[in-house]
Amino acid sequence: LIAHYQSLPQAASFTQAASFTPVNYREAFGLFDRVGDNKVAYNQVADIMRALGQNPTNKEVNRLLGMPSADDMTAKRVEFEGFLPMLQTIINSPNKAGYDDYVEGLRVFDKEGNGTVMGAELRIVLSTLGEKMSADEIDALMAGQEDENGCVNYETFVKHIMSV
Amino acid sequence: MDCHNEECSRPQEEEDIMDIPLDDPEANRAAAKIQAGFRGHMTRKKMKPEDKAEGEERPEDRGQ
Repeated sequence: LIAHYQSLPQAASFTQAASFTPVNYREAFGLFDRVGDNKVAYNQVADIMRALGQNPTNKEVNRLLGMPSADDMTAKRVEFEGFLPMLQTIINSPNKAGYDDYVEGLRVFDKEGNGTVMGAELRIVLSTLGEKMSADEIDALMAGQEDENGCVNYETFVKHIMSV
Repeated sequence: MDCHNEECSRPQEEEDIMDIPLDDPEANRAAAKIQAGFRGHMTRKKMKPEDKAEGEERPEDRGQ
């Protein structure tokens, strides 16, 4: 198991078209400004990047924001000119995960080698490893993905993940 | 491998689940990458206008 994680392939970067309608990054940024000061809160930065097709880890975003405290995340705001270089760092980051990375990562849990993983096991992994996901996040993620036996076909699952 | 001696008191399924390498940095790094992709997907899905029923398969050429 551990040996497999160590060999997770470094896929070539893949880009994913944002599927909502703003024409450019500035416009997308503006949609997130709920105060009207042409800024967004620190705690919105990760989501704006995700909306724009990126998949930053929370750790990457925190690093870019200068390791903010919990208070900073809600109280501090950043303008577009401060946000853009952060976005560009994420866009240009090497080692972005692609289809193969996700599939191989999930294949580790395919005990029978039949293309499926137990939904229950996946839920435990997502909630205990890495950047732990909440029960609500996991429910939203896995909605409709498990068959009547509680199994997930992970290649289908990854295609679904990458389609948006 | 055998679970039927005195040292092993847990049933087989629990033991499999306990195989999760909680302290392994590589496993955690790999998990974080996968979780990042999942979170990206969920944010983008939330932002889409609801024009299709939940759970419907999308054509693969969707992301142009």
